[in-house]
Amino acid sequence: MSVLALPDKALRTAVRELPENALAANRQAALARFLERGFPTTRLEDWKYTDLTSIADISQRWLESGAPTATAASVSGRVEEIRAVVGIDWIVIGNGAIVDGTHIAGSEGLSIATFSELKHAPGYEHPLADLNAALLPDGLHIHVHAHSHHDRPLGLLFVDGADSQPGVTQTRVFIELDEGSQAQFVEYHASIGEADHYANSVVELSLAKGASADYVRIQARDGGHTQTHRTAISLQASSTIRYSGFDLGGRLVRNDLDIDIGGKEATVLVGGLYIAGDGQHIDNHVRIDHRVGPARSEQEFRGILGGRCRCVWNGKAIVQPGADGTDAEQSNHNLLLSERAEIDAKPELEIYADEVKCSHGTTVGQIDDAALFYLRSRGLDKQDAMRALTRAFGASIVSHSPIAAVADHLTEIVERRLTALTEDSDA
Amino acid sequence: MLEIKDLKASTGDTPILNGVSLSVKAGEVHAIMGPNGSGKSTLAQVIAGHDDYAVTGGSVEYKGRDLLELEPEERARDGIFLGFQYPVEIPGVNNAYLLKAALNAKRKHHGLDEIDAFEFLKLAKEKMVLLGMDPKFLNRGVNEGFSGGEKKRNEILQMAMLEPDLAILDETDSGLDIDALKAVAHGINSLRSPDRAIVLVTHYQRLLDYVEPDVVHVLSAGRILRSGDKSLALELEEKGYDWVKEAANA
Ligand SMILES: Nc1ncnc2c1ncn2[C@@H]1O[C@H](COP(=O)(O)OP(=O)(O)O)[C@@H](O)[C@H]1O
Ligand SMILES: [Mg+2]
Repeated sequence: MSVLALPDKALRTAVRELPENALAANRQAALARFLERGFPTTRLEDWKYTDLTSIADISQRWLESGAPTATAASVSGRVEEIRAVVGIDWIVIGNGAIVDGTHIAGSEGLSIATFSELKHAPGYEHPLADLNAALLPDGLHIHVHAHSHHDRPLGLLFVDGADSQPGVTQTRVFIELDEGSQAQFVEYHASIGEADHYANSVVELSLAKGASADYVRIQARDGGHTQTHRTAISLQASSTIRYSGFDLGGRLVRNDLDIDIGGKEATVLVGGLYIAGDGQHIDNHVRIDHRVGPARSEQEFRGILGGRCRCVWNGKAIVQPGADGTDAEQSNHNLLLSERAEIDAKPELEIYADEVKCSHGTTVGQIDDAALFYLRSRGLDKQDAMRALTRAFGASIVSHSPIAAVADHLTEIVERRLTALTEDSDA
Repeated sequence: MLEIKDLKASTGDTPILNGVSLSVKAGEVHAIMGPNGSGKSTLAQVIAGHDDYAVTGGSVEYKGRDLLELEPEERARDGIFLGFQYPVEIPGVNNAYLLKAALNAKRKHHGLDEIDAFEFLKLAKEKMVLLGMDPKFLNRGVNEGFSGGEKKRNEILQMAMLEPDLAILDETDSGLDIDALKAVAHGINSLRSPDRAIVLVTHYQRLLDYVEPDVVHVLSAGRILRSGDKSLALELEEKGYDWVKEAANA
């Protein structure tokens, strides 16, 4: 089979059985596009290292079992856990359905509504975004009003459950920051359950002139679950995005971060940390398109890999003709704790303008034996020493994460992952 | 306290120690001198448990137990401290964390509770004053960007905090100006006690003016060629190592 397709008929039925709302026509259009192209395959350069066959398989089994939607109740335990440790306002999207939190819309300077209420048809053409649009019950639209400043972070909790049957969920959020507004967001991906699960989500952020957003994405899915996630951020003049992404869970994870710089003096600061252990595959593709200059983008991704796992980082900066004064930096550093861990790191620069400052650096290394011995010679056991060194490796990303309200939780879940990883590495 | 008998060690296929015997009793200070490349650091590292070196013969007993079967961290917790000739820079792991983790590992080994945060800070600051170190070094990465002298002082700080039974200080005096040397010597002297032993690896008589050794050994080509009292160090300073080698070959 040369394309990764889903059975036409079952997919059409699943789309037809979604709740009837203003998105119906758009679903059909997206469905037609998806049916034509199917899932991206490894023959595409961008997907060379990430094979979606198992995701197509989960989706197919889900369709065959009648495309069930797990109930929101099945995830409520996980929701409460997260609420208990991160005390911010959460909008909960459970199994793709907006469950809770839209009451926050009452806050001054902030409106929250569904796509169907606003008759907002999700755009953004990509096979996975099309699949998302085709199967999307409804989306969430967050509107930050001009010149309003929000100090309290708004949480978006994407939580999925798959207990007995394979599950597939689609989540979509559109965040619009009007001129001069400031806001903070925490996007949290979690899942529970023994059955296979595939989550496909799209988040779009649009920053108007002078707007500024701090954004933390935490992906802490259960070990057996899969996701494809696409974030598209567009920036107008003098706007700023500080974005940090943390991938700490999941079996097969692909994130695409697409950033479009369409205004002068825009600033993009991206940090990323992925921690992968046995059996995990985590792929981060970042593309920053400097259409206008002067503007600055900086991205630093770090990876800690143990066991038999594979991670992919592809960071691409494009400087379009005329985007003079662009300053683009990208770096990716990886720490391999095992010989079976594999990293495919690729920085790419496409420069079509003259006055630009671009740099990139990629490193792959192991634990420094001299440092390990030094710590052990002071009485730290091997695992504590390993954990201190791996923690230090990821520290720049964790400590620069822009939202204080999740800092402690982040530190804790990173620590938990490092503990698991350094335990494994002895084996 | 430490009984080394006919110790042979190599790295890869290269023998470095060719039969070292050394007996250090509690309360003693020993100095090991010898030309570059003679195996002084290797001896120190083997005692601390570095796995770059394979022990190919002989034995090492510490407090009556076979030292060689212990992991490096077990040796440390049981009171062995190695002051590195080249202390390792560990960016991102801060000094305070290391000191505290090291101290607690040792306390746990001895069945004690973890030190509380306040006590720890008080103790660390006290020791830093003693060594003429700025307390802000606590919050820096371990040896990260430290000058040569600062690294050596930091080793002595760790030693002062951990109060080892056996301290092996590998060229802790190299590259120190006179003030730093005095501070380091002061740190070493305040550790001296009838229950503890100290082994100083050094090239220079200088440190020995401040910390008086009971026994001086000359190590050359992986063997101890000569042992004597502190006057041996003075003789070496005067006549160089060749004199010992010639005397040994004769
Ligand atoms: N890890 C190692 N790998 C290879 N050779 C080593 C290693 N450590 C020490 N040596 C060699 O062993 C010899 C003794 O080194 P060392 O113990 O550092 O001497 P010293 O401290 O007396 O100057 C030298 O020739 C040195 O190059
Ligand atoms: Mg040496």
